[in-house]
Amino acid sequence: MAVCIAVIAKENYPLYIRSTPTENELKFHYMVHTSLDVVDEKISAMGKALVDQRELYLGLLYPTEDYKVYDYVTNSKVKFVMVVDSSNTALRDNEIRSMFRKLHNSYTDVMCNPFYNPGDRIQSRAFDNMVTSMMIQVC
Amino acid sequence: MELKESSLYTATTPWFESYRETFLQSMPASDHEFLNHYLACMLVASSGEAEPMEQFSKLSQEQHRIQHNSDYSYPKWFIPNTLKYYVLLHDVTSGDEQRAESIYEEMKQKYGTQGCYLLKINSRAPNRASDEQIPDPWSQYLQKNSIQHQESYEDGPCTMTSNKNSDSNLLSLDGLDNEIKVDGLPNSFRVHPLQLDQCGDPPNTDGSDHTKSASVRENKKASTGVIRGACLTLTDHDRIRQFIQEFTFRGLLPHIEKTIRQLNDQEMAAVSAFLQPGAPRPYPAHYMDTAIQTYRDICKNMVLAERCVLLSAEILKSQSKYSEAAALLIRLTSEDSDLRSALLLEQAAHCFINMKSPMVRKYAFHMILAGHRFSKAGQKKHALRCYCQAMQVYKGKGWSLAEDHINFTIGRQSYTLRQLDNAVSAFRHILINESKQSAAQQGAFLREYLYVYKNVNQLSPDGPLPQLPLPYINSSATRVFFGHDRRPADGEKQAATHISLDQEYDSESSQQWRELEEHVVAVANKGIIPSSFYPTQYCLNSYSDNSRFPLAVVEEPITVEVAFRNPLKVPLLLSDLSLLWKFQPKDVNGKDIERARERARLKLFPHHIGELHILGVVYNLGTIQGSVTVDGIGALPGCHTGKHSLSMSVRGRQDLEIQGPRLNNTKEEKTSVKYGPDRRLDPVVTEEMPLLEVFFIHFPTGLLCGEIRKAYVEFVNVSKCPLTGLKVVSKRPEFFTFGVNTAALTPLSPSTSENCSAYKTVVTGSPSAGTALVSSASSVDFGTSTGQQLEAIPVPLPDSVLLPGASVQLPMWLRGPDEEGVHEINFLFYYESVKKQPKRRHRILRHTAVICTSRSLNVRATVCRSNSLEDEEGRGGNMLVFVDVENTNTSEAGVKEFHMVQVSSSSKHWQLHKSVNISENKDAKLASREKGKFCFKAVRCKQNEAAVQSSEKYTFADIIFGNEQIISSASPCADFFYRSLSSELKKPQDLLSAHTEKHGAEEAVRLIQKCSEVDLNLVILWKAYVVEDNKQLILEGQHHVVLRTVGKEAFSQSQKQADVDVIVDLRHKTTSPEALDTHGSFTWLGQTQYKLQLRSEESRSLQLKACFVHTGVYNLGTPRVFAKLSDQVTEFETSQQNSMPALIIINNA
Repeated sequence: MAVCIAVIAKENYPLYIRSTPTENELKFHYMVHTSLDVVDEKISAMGKALVDQRELYLGLLYPTEDYKVYDYVTNSKVKFVMVVDSSNTALRDNEIRSMFRKLHNSYTDVMCNPFYNPGDRIQSRAFDNMVTSMMIQVC
Repeated sequence: MELKESSLYTATTPWFESYRETFLQSMPASDHEFLNHYLACMLVASSGEAEPMEQFSKLSQEQHRIQHNSDYSYPKWFIPNTLKYYVLLHDVTSGDEQRAESIYEEMKQKYGTQGCYLLKINSRAPNRASDEQIPDPWSQYLQKNSIQHQESYEDGPCTMTSNKNSDSNLLSLDGLDNEIKVDGLPNSFRVHPLQLDQCGDPPNTDGSDHTKSASVRENKKASTGVIRGACLTLTDHDRIRQFIQEFTFRGLLPHIEKTIRQLNDQEMAAVSAFLQPGAPRPYPAHYMDTAIQTYRDICKNMVLAERCVLLSAEILKSQSKYSEAAALLIRLTSEDSDLRSALLLEQAAHCFINMKSPMVRKYAFHMILAGHRFSKAGQKKHALRCYCQAMQVYKGKGWSLAEDHINFTIGRQSYTLRQLDNAVSAFRHILINESKQSAAQQGAFLREYLYVYKNVNQLSPDGPLPQLPLPYINSSATRVFFGHDRRPADGEKQAATHISLDQEYDSESSQQWRELEEHVVAVANKGIIPSSFYPTQYCLNSYSDNSRFPLAVVEEPITVEVAFRNPLKVPLLLSDLSLLWKFQPKDVNGKDIERARERARLKLFPHHIGELHILGVVYNLGTIQGSVTVDGIGALPGCHTGKHSLSMSVRGRQDLEIQGPRLNNTKEEKTSVKYGPDRRLDPVVTEEMPLLEVFFIHFPTGLLCGEIRKAYVEFVNVSKCPLTGLKVVSKRPEFFTFGVNTAALTPLSPSTSENCSAYKTVVTGSPSAGTALVSSASSVDFGTSTGQQLEAIPVPLPDSVLLPGASVQLPMWLRGPDEEGVHEINFLFYYESVKKQPKRRHRILRHTAVICTSRSLNVRATVCRSNSLEDEEGRGGNMLVFVDVENTNTSEAGVKEFHMVQVSSSSKHWQLHKSVNISENKDAKLASREKGKFCFKAVRCKQNEAAVQSSEKYTFADIIFGNEQIISSASPCADFFYRSLSSELKKPQDLLSAHTEKHGAEEAVRLIQKCSEVDLNLVILWKAYVVEDNKQLILEGQHHVVLRTVGKEAFSQSQKQADVDVIVDLRHKTTSPEALDTHGSFTWLGQTQYKLQLRSEESRSLQLKACFVHTGVYNLGTPRVFAKLSDQVTEFETSQQNSMPALIIINNA
């Protein structure tokens, strides 16, 4: 259902990025990259005090003609970006939220792996499978 | 953020400014609004005119006619009631002032004071000579360029919009701008009906009218080339200014004020609201939005929509509402005009980066979009610039797909703009970073790169070869090998293994070789290792010590192995690969190349002495054409010359720079990161050295333990200088011998020795009935002395010199090691040049032989004093020697049986005298798993003690079971005996001496020990009958037993005792049936179970307590012992079968 899922490090470089129709990969990369501006804006708009209690889920960043971009920022400023097909009306905010939560849990597992160097590209098979399941799952 | 410091972005760009300018200028006036509509008309007549008043009314009529006649669709007039302003122009120098004043009075009466003006100019005669530069007073009202606009951008709202908008800005303007509208807007494509061309024919029939109106025009227009203002003085300037102000404030503004209230357009209202300085209301952006919407969707008038957007965007920008401005600009982009879209996108990008928190990524993305549109519009430079600006954001952030895309476009655009260097570096970027692109994409990148690269090369064909980025060279994996390639086995000759690039580095073995070399060098230099010595390194790799310049020998090849790695998914075709080198004194000729997978081996052949520096590799890089590779024909060498691959390959170089090991010795080195030199690629070519090649003939791969086999070694000097001092050293000297005085007793060539015994034999007439044949030999003759740990064995060359080209074949006996298994035996051949050289004194050759041994015989022997047997000569000290021989061969190798051939003794003091029990087993045959027992009588040697003591003379006594005597005191039997003896004696002797020194007081004990000491060594010679490939073979061999103490067993091979730790578990058979049955049994007290670990050879005693209640007989043998290896985790226990009844009788007390 998701068309593209990306994990972006605090320093705004990609830790993981995957999209379904591989021929459009570049487009999604640009899209995710550009969306980071909006994320930055949203976070900086919140102000210092609120940062700690803020909700991780940032919601819909912006809709384009064909896609909707959602974002989720962990407390360590790692961003999860999900691009969803606009035509997919079955996905509500709640579903997106739970998908992000799943993604976050899986990401936490990756970080718990003692052999994973924080900041490296994520190459975990478990994480991969999780993402695949979220991309394929048809509603 | 990171782009803040970059000066590349500004709020706007000059080309956009000028675009906007031109756009607004070229916009046609439309019906619904008043832009470019004329508000007023200035009628000018000269005071020199005959009838100025008449002229004025004529002009007025003309204006009226133009405005109200439908023939003229252009210009458009703002309102029907156009303001007319009458100006009487008076030339001070030539005209009559009085007359002018009177005409002016007349005008005032006719048109009103506010509607007319007397302008006096030209206060002096044209004086070119004085060349006084007074600026053209008209220029400031004309020809405003966009730059001026930009500079005055912030100053006030009036210049915010261009001068063309000024019509609508009248209320707030200082009026100066309005001048232009009188002049008529420079709509270049339309001819203004009032505009009179001086040069052309006047449209008016009235010539005077023409000249009069043209006189003003002349000053305004620069078209005639007349120096404007030449006749003007400063007072004239003041007058002109005054005139204009008068016109604006007295004439125009009141007029406008009356009519402007009718304007109702929202756009206008919004702009007006914005233009009102200090307006209390915020800028009504929604007005603008609605206006744009309406223009676009309802009016379908894109031009007006665009104008509206441009205006609005500027206004929003000035209010720092960049985000809204960007949105407006982006919304205006469309498919129809690439150039416009590109400009707008670029502006939008600039808006993003000028935001309070700059949106760099959006900036970058829109820059890319703009670049794309620019390139579609054919604006290559702009496109390239946009992509380069976007690149700053994407660079090095890990967004590799995007980065590749940008780089690729930059490369292409640079190429089309002939910026080849930039193109090359951009393409290079795509290729060298670990690309995540698909193979097809990479192939496209590569082809593009090669194509561009080729063009660069063609531009400067004579320049130095450029560096190629592909494939990667793993420079630290570079290996350098000095010397010829190893010749493979030549018939039955098997070349020494030596060293080759095919061997993997093994630190353990290289350490062994180094020790061997050190040892042999020490031997060659009388025990001292020269200070200049360092181990010979034939193969340099990342593990070897590369801090010294390696030595290469002239006329011997240097092979360099370069490790390539292709990071791409597409194959790379390298051709014409060769080394790049620099040679100091003289040049080197000849190169040879061979290729192997990802590693290329390149050979250099130095022909002169000097210093060589290998710098890098030169090669052609190309792609294999897609269709060719699919067919699998790409590998054919013919394709290399094919048109395809040639057209797509470029020549370039890559340097080989090897970083040395990191230094970590001094404190300074530890705290900083410093690297030592690596001189692998800088060999020093030295003078000729001898070069030895060694071949082995009939060298076996499998032997029985103790088997003696004869092989031949061929030494060939393949160099041009003689070699000498040939020695061989091995960690296993007991494995082989070259024999002593062998020339006399062996066949000279290997071919004649096919079926000969390895031993020196003598046929005896009849079996000597068990009596010994005695001979003697000295250990010195066999080159063994027990003093050294490891000795170098000199190879008995005929004249101790091997001349160039000469070869010598020498016999070599091998004895299978006593331990069963696979043995790797290292031989190090050492040799020197006849003439001494300062740099390198010796050379070495390595050989590793692999021998697999299988079990044969196991010999056990004891010696004891014989009391019963009387010596013939009455001297005591006869002894009996018992020898047990067991055939331990497991017989899978086809070994049928062993025959004992001879038992020989060798000792300084003792000798075997005769065999005692030759009763039944005459042949002394031993089939598989059979045991044979022999008994011999030994006597003291019949030599005087002094002679024995002084020399290392051993007496050999042979007892023969067949009819052939093997002379045990000759080669090779004695050789192996001495070798085994020296290796056998090493350790125990050390122990003994240490022991005696420590305890001088125990002299007595030592003496007693000495009494039971005996030094009798037995050599058991055997023959084995083996069937192999339906052929019966007879193998020979010998075993050694060293008897040292009376009554103590000695073995031919050290008994294998595994050094293992054992965990012992002592338990009781508490549930054993006897214990239950026995009435009134006893009980164990205290700790009844132990679990402990026993080291090897360790013994422990455990205490168990039992309590007996009744009298009777008890069996205490109930404990059971379980044992397992301590390092084994699994409970693999063995129960000790020790059910020895231990009975105890308890009496009634």
